[in-house]
Amino acid sequence: MLGQEIKKLVIYTIFLAIIILPMLGFTGGAEFQAERAFLVFGIGVALLVLNLIVKVIRSHRPPPDHDKPSLPERIGDRLHRIPKIFTLGPLLLAAGTFPLVANNYMIDVGITCLIYVCLGLGLNIVVGLCGLLDLGYIAFYAVGAYSYSLLNLTYGFSFWAALPIGVVLGMICGCIIGYPTLKMRGDYLAIVTLGFGEIIRLVLNNWDDLTAGPNGLFGMKRPPLYYPTIEDGGLDMVTYYLTSLPGLFYFILVIAILIIIGVNRLDKSRIGRAWIAIREDEVAAELSGVPTTWLKLLAYAMGAGFASVAGAFFAAKLSYVNPNFFLFMESCIVLSIVVLGGIGSIPGIIIAGFILIAVPEVFRELEAFRMLAFGAIMTTMMIIRPEGLIPASRKKREFHRQRDEAERGPQ
Amino acid sequence: MDFSAFILQQMVNALFLGSIYALIALGYTMVYGIIELINFAHGELFTAGAFIGVIVLSGLQQIGWVETHFVLTLFIVFGLAMAYVAVLGVALEHVAYRPLRNASRLSALLSALGMSIFLSNGMMLSQGVSDRAYPQVFGLESIDFFGAMISHSQVFIILLAFVLMVGLQFFVHRTRLGKAMRATAQNRTIARMLGINIDQTIRITFMIGPALGAAAGVMVGLYYGAVRFDMGFIFMIKAFAAAILGGIGSIPGAVLGGLIIGGIEVAWAAFLPSAWKDVTTFTVLILVLYLKPSGLLGESEADLRV
Amino acid sequence: MKKLALLTLSLVLALGIGTAAGKELKIGTLSPLTGPYAQDGTDIKQGVITAVDAFSPVKGFDNVEVLPGDSACDGGKATMAANKLINSGVDVVVGAYCSSATEPAQIPLMDAGVVQITPGSTAERLTHKGYDHFFRMPPRDDVQAWSTVEFLTKKQGVKTIALIDDKQTYTAGLTENIRKFAEDNGNLEIVAHEHITPGDSDFTAVLTKLKRISPDVIYMAVYQPEGSKMIQQARKLDVDATFMTEDAVFHPKFLEVAGSAAEGVYLTFAKAPETPERKAFEEMYKKKWNVDSIGSYAYYAYDAAMVALKAAEKCGCTDAETLSKTIRGTTWEGVSGEIKFDEKGDRELAHIIWVVKDNQFVPYWDPITGKDL
Repeated sequence: MLGQEIKKLVIYTIFLAIIILPMLGFTGGAEFQAERAFLVFGIGVALLVLNLIVKVIRSHRPPPDHDKPSLPERIGDRLHRIPKIFTLGPLLLAAGTFPLVANNYMIDVGITCLIYVCLGLGLNIVVGLCGLLDLGYIAFYAVGAYSYSLLNLTYGFSFWAALPIGVVLGMICGCIIGYPTLKMRGDYLAIVTLGFGEIIRLVLNNWDDLTAGPNGLFGMKRPPLYYPTIEDGGLDMVTYYLTSLPGLFYFILVIAILIIIGVNRLDKSRIGRAWIAIREDEVAAELSGVPTTWLKLLAYAMGAGFASVAGAFFAAKLSYVNPNFFLFMESCIVLSIVVLGGIGSIPGIIIAGFILIAVPEVFRELEAFRMLAFGAIMTTMMIIRPEGLIPASRKKREFHRQRDEAERGPQ
Repeated sequence: MDFSAFILQQMVNALFLGSIYALIALGYTMVYGIIELINFAHGELFTAGAFIGVIVLSGLQQIGWVETHFVLTLFIVFGLAMAYVAVLGVALEHVAYRPLRNASRLSALLSALGMSIFLSNGMMLSQGVSDRAYPQVFGLESIDFFGAMISHSQVFIILLAFVLMVGLQFFVHRTRLGKAMRATAQNRTIARMLGINIDQTIRITFMIGPALGAAAGVMVGLYYGAVRFDMGFIFMIKAFAAAILGGIGSIPGAVLGGLIIGGIEVAWAAFLPSAWKDVTTFTVLILVLYLKPSGLLGESEADLRV
Repeated sequence: MKKLALLTLSLVLALGIGTAAGKELKIGTLSPLTGPYAQDGTDIKQGVITAVDAFSPVKGFDNVEVLPGDSACDGGKATMAANKLINSGVDVVVGAYCSSATEPAQIPLMDAGVVQITPGSTAERLTHKGYDHFFRMPPRDDVQAWSTVEFLTKKQGVKTIALIDDKQTYTAGLTENIRKFAEDNGNLEIVAHEHITPGDSDFTAVLTKLKRISPDVIYMAVYQPEGSKMIQQARKLDVDATFMTEDAVFHPKFLEVAGSAAEGVYLTFAKAPETPERKAFEEMYKKKWNVDSIGSYAYYAYDAAMVALKAAEKCGCTDAETLSKTIRGTTWEGVSGEIKFDEKGDRELAHIIWVVKDNQFVPYWDPITGKDL
């Protein structure tokens, strides 16, 4: 056992040396920058040795009992048992008082987090509930952002008047993208949605007459609020534009809460259960009388609609949109939020949204290292905890069943 | 420049670009064929190959081998770049894909995406954010071929790409390992029953596919003159379109797909508004997937399911 | 005893004065430190740090602090970074680079009363919004386009031009302006206008198309990575036209990557006076960052920081109102030439035409005087 592990360690070390030393040693000039290369190599070897030690210690312990839930699961179960009012109440209170204590930067980060939470929840319908992999989701965000910008700039529509139009446009785009993909397999679907996402961005960039191309659109009004006052004796409506960051924070907070409630309702409704049936086995669902075609289109439309809402808010908040805000990488980030949080799990997505957006902000000084860590963590998470941070209860069982089968299965 | 020379020149352009796409697409198609995973990190493996190429080539240029042993230099550059990326590919498979072989598709895909981000940023940190110039060993001279200008590097690259593709086809169809690879791609369980070492076969796939990508990376460096940490992305998308177009899992399909994607791009830019070039590529991809999901030369979906 | 008391008193006084005079000047930078433009973004950050090193200590201030921010060329990230800088109490922000980041970041910075000097964004409308505290170091797009058309018609006497851009805010704005000036001029006909994709490597199809049209001049409105590759392919395709490009390509990397293919390419870039200050800056920069060559945006960033530091020293203030007045009311000697801002916040700075000769950028022609250099 130990001998085998040491042999593995030697092989890994050789691999590490081959991979790290040339790439880190030869930069720019011809001379070998030994210090840097060996530093990183040393860290790598240290990690390998640490891994070996952990393995050896583990092997002396009794094997873990598969039927007994692990510590995080037990904590998770405990949390589930606490009445919702005790968890949701303080959370809402914290969110509500946040702008009063935080500075503008923190509020701005908070707003961005909430935008991504909205996006994650929308994508969750497509990926998490219906099981359709979507790599071009950010396109609907762009549709929402551009439809508000254009309606506001060209026709002077207010945020509230433009929002339903934007949502409908987003849903139509969702159906257009959804329709040809209905009969496709998972991975093909991913590529088609990726292609559609790029097409929408390129159209926005190239259609100069409508979208001003790469110049982007600017000068959109912030979302207005209306309230009545009694002035000069008569009842009058006053328009108040939400220009301050705390105001915008409360605004997106309300939107996010509405979306959370909506998604939660959908999850537990007949439609939600039908979506899960499609995700688990499409053929069986079809045979059981689930109208799969319509429901898949509906999933695309709903997901796109939520993204449009977030997009319209984003455009209104920034007062500027540019096609370059909607790159493929953004779709990846939203997808990571859904998967890291736990596919189909609403609290997981909320927490992952905050982790993925806020934590890199904290480490902004480390610049490139944070993306390096982001990539590494993503892979590590998929390997050690594929069900996400807070797994949806149904999904968790499924993942572990697969994992156990894989471990016990013939090798 | 008369019309026939113009057409000929554009055909050369398309053939060249298509060969590069085809070589990268081969890596995708092989990996997808065998473990049904979109290897998102393939674009980064391609970039890594280009970086190793420039490191080795600059080193050999300094000791003057480019002038004295030109062919040997190229051999070493391609050899080392491909070997390095083969090692990287195996390591990648071992670390990021093997533990997820029986997990859900989505987990594996995200693991690949994570590795893509990791490698891309790792190369940015180690090799810098700006372009690294390739020594121009071929110079700027071109051959006048009936009015079309073909540079020396293009001739060399197209020939080498052709040799690599034919070699791969031979390997897959004529050798024992290649046959094991095809058997594993068709049905892993039965292949295991027949005594094929699945792990080893997958490992070899992860050596050959990325190594071909690395060769493409060195070619891109040699012809276009520079490499940068993020250049893999655009090639990755196009090559993936090529792999799907030709029928994923099919080696001649990937080559055909690469040439078609290269051809569409060049033809569109040559005759129609060039700003919409990429829109066309993606539209063609979507149309093919919609009308013939198995691709041009792929096995039909029904066969794959059974 | 008395002595001791006196000593204590003086000590307390000294400390008290020390803390009372403990004024700090905070300069933020806002540039893409990650992503495809990270190179120019890093140049900007390093330029600012070099300036702070060179001009510290600043009279009237105990300490000058540089706070680097990453705009990532993304609107959302740029406003977050701008808000972060505002919260850290910056007095001046040097940035951003991409117009798509400068535009949204402008709003919170101007609202918060921070002086913003951009070292890279050239879209005209940035200074046309009536902001008092916004300044721009490089010349605007229209100035550059004017110089280009002036050079091509007056000096070169060419008749036809083909435009290539990569459809980004900067490049598309530039070609649009060239089109406008060429139409006004009347002697320069635009025979083709092609677009490429940023990040692409292969431009042979478009170049072959232009070779067939055979214009007198091909104008490449692209960034340096694409420009270096495009010129090599053009030479290999034996395209028989004069190549002209702009300041985003004016980077030592262009010479390094394109090598002999770059010979004879004309570029527009601001006049670079061979002053001792410029030499001193170049030496200092190369030594400090251990590089062989300096990116062009480092000069503008250095000048931007220099103006901010000297203005703060001159007025002894940090409030945006007085600081802007001081910046506007003075003529500064910078490494990118004389710096004098008009009321909009633009510099009265023109481009000159450069040419690549023996793998060096060499000044060639001045469009204002109409004379060779």
